[in-house]
Amino acid sequence: MKKKKKIQPNSLWALPSAGLLLLLTIAPLAMLLLFSFMNRNMFAGQPWPGWTMGNITRMMASGTFWDLLLRSLRTGLIVTVICIAAAYPAAWAMAKVVPEKRRGMCMILVILPFFTSQLLLIYAMMNLIQTGGLLMTALNAIGIPAKSFLYTNAATVLVLVYEYLPYMILCLYSSIEGIGDNLIHASLILGANKVRTFTHIVFPMSAPGLLSGILLVFVPVVGSFVEPGLVGGSNGMMVGSLINSQYKDNLNMGYGAVLSCVLLIVLCVIMAIISFATKKAQQSIGGDV
Amino acid sequence: MSKGFNWAMRICLWIVLLFMYIPIIAIIGMSFNKTSYGMFPYVFTTQWYRVLATTSNLPAACWLSIKFSALVAVAALIIGTMTSFGLQYFSPKMAKRFNFVMQLPIIIPWLVTSISILLLFTFMGSGRSYPVMFLGNLIVVLPYVVMLVNNRFVEMDRTPEAAARLLGAGPMRVFCDVTLPGIMPGILAGGMMALIVCFNNFVLQYYLSPVAVDTLPVTVFTRIKSGYQADLNALSAIIILIAVIIVVIMTRLGYSGGSLFGMSSGSGKQKGD
Repeated sequence: MKKKKKIQPNSLWALPSAGLLLLLTIAPLAMLLLFSFMNRNMFAGQPWPGWTMGNITRMMASGTFWDLLLRSLRTGLIVTVICIAAAYPAAWAMAKVVPEKRRGMCMILVILPFFTSQLLLIYAMMNLIQTGGLLMTALNAIGIPAKSFLYTNAATVLVLVYEYLPYMILCLYSSIEGIGDNLIHASLILGANKVRTFTHIVFPMSAPGLLSGILLVFVPVVGSFVEPGLVGGSNGMMVGSLINSQYKDNLNMGYGAVLSCVLLIVLCVIMAIISFATKKAQQSIGGDV
Repeated sequence: MSKGFNWAMRICLWIVLLFMYIPIIAIIGMSFNKTSYGMFPYVFTTQWYRVLATTSNLPAACWLSIKFSALVAVAALIIGTMTSFGLQYFSPKMAKRFNFVMQLPIIIPWLVTSISILLLFTFMGSGRSYPVMFLGNLIVVLPYVVMLVNNRFVEMDRTPEAAARLLGAGPMRVFCDVTLPGIMPGILAGGMMALIVCFNNFVLQYYLSPVAVDTLPVTVFTRIKSGYQADLNALSAIIILIAVIIVVIMTRLGYSGGSLFGMSSGSGKQKGD
C-alpha cells in the first residue's frame, strides 16, 4: 500500500454521507445478492434459512420473467423514443425560438409537473381517458365513436410518456441552450442543409443532455410497476410488477432478489452500450467537440 | 433559421405543453363536478372541497407527508452540504469516484433500491419502520442536494475565503460568514428538490413505511386502486395550485428548471451566442 497524498482534514466532512452510502446503497445491493441464494423468506426473529440455487434455476426456467423483461425493455424503448421525438423540437423551440422574455414562463410550465405528485399525474391522465371521461365524451360529441383505451398497454405508454417527457425536455434544453447561434448560422450559410446541421452540430453538441435524458427516462420506465399496475389492465404486467408481486403478494423474497439483480444487470449493460454508442457517434460525426 | 421551420418548432412546443396540461386542467375542472368519477354530465358543486375539509383521510396523510419530507429534507441539507464541502478537498480522481457512488441511488430504479433496503433491514431484524423509511428517503434525495451545492462551489469564487483566513478569521467564522452565503442558492434549491422528491416518493414509502401508516402517495395509490372519490380531485387541484406558487417563487428567486437538475448553470449565464 502506498500513500498517494496526505488526506486533507476538511475532506472528512464527507464522511457521514460516505457512511450512509455504504449502509444504504452498497450494503443493500450486497444483501440483494445474498438473498438471491437464500432458501426461504427471512423475517425478523426467524432462524437462518439456508442456501439454495433454486431461485436462479427457477428464474432461468421461467418463461414469464423473460417475456416480461423483454416487454419492459420494449416499453422503455418506445417511451424513450417518443420522448426524444417530442422533446427535441420542444426543447429547440424553448432554447432558440421563444423570445428570451418568455423563456422563463415556458420553463415554469415544463417543470411544474415535477412539483405535483407523480401519482396525481397518473390519476389525472386516467381521469381524462376513462370511459365517460373528458376525452371520450369530446370524441363522441364530434361523432367519433371511440372506445376508452384505459387498461391497455397503450395507456401504460401514454402515462409513462406523460410522466417522463419533462425530464427529457429539460435535459435537451440545457444542452441545446449551450449551442452558439453563430455556429448554426455558420453551418447553414456554408451550405449545410438542416438535416446535416442537425446531425453534425446539434446532435453531437446535445449528446450529453440526450444521454442524461435517456438515463432519466429509460431506466425508471423499465423498472416501473405502478403505472402498468394502475392503467395497464390485466395484460399490462411488466417486469417491475412481477418483482413487486414477489414482495407484496407471494412473499418470496429470494426469488424477488434474483429478479431484481438480473434487472439491474440488464439495465447496466444497456446503459453502458448506449453511453458508448453516443460517444462514438459524437466522435465520428462531429469530431472532437 | 427560416420562419417556417421556427413556426413548426413553436407549434411542437405548444402541442407538448397542451399534452402536459390538458389532464391537469381537466382534473381541476372535475374537482367542481358533482359525479365522483370525473364523468359527465357536468354539474357545478364545491361539495368535494367540503368532503376534503371534513371527512376525508387525505388531509391527515398530506400533513404526515409534509412533516416527514421536511424532516428528510433538513437532514439531507445538513449532510449534503457537509459532503459537498468535504468533496472540494478530495483529489479530482477520488471526487469523481465518490460522485459516481453518490449517483447510484438516482440511477438504480427505486423499486430495486426499496427492495434491497427492505432486505437489509429485514436481515438486521427491524423491517419496516419510521427510521428505515427515513433512511431510505434520505439516501435517495441526498444526491440532489450534493449535486446542487457542488455546482455552487464550482461556480463560486473561493478567494474571499482565503482572504478571510489570512485576515485572521477562524475556520468556523470563515465557513459561516463567507462560504455559507456563497453556497446558499445551491442549498435552497437542494432543499426544495429534496422536499419535493421525498414528498412524491411513492415507491420507497410503499415498501418502507411502517405497517398501517400511509403517507400521501401511498394513500393516493390505495384510493386509485380501490375506486376513488372526487375529494382526490379537489386535493389534486389544491396541490397543483401550491405547486404553481412554489415554482413561481423559485423562478423569481432565479432558479431555472435546468439548475434544479444540476445540468445548466442557470438562466443568468448563457454560453455561446
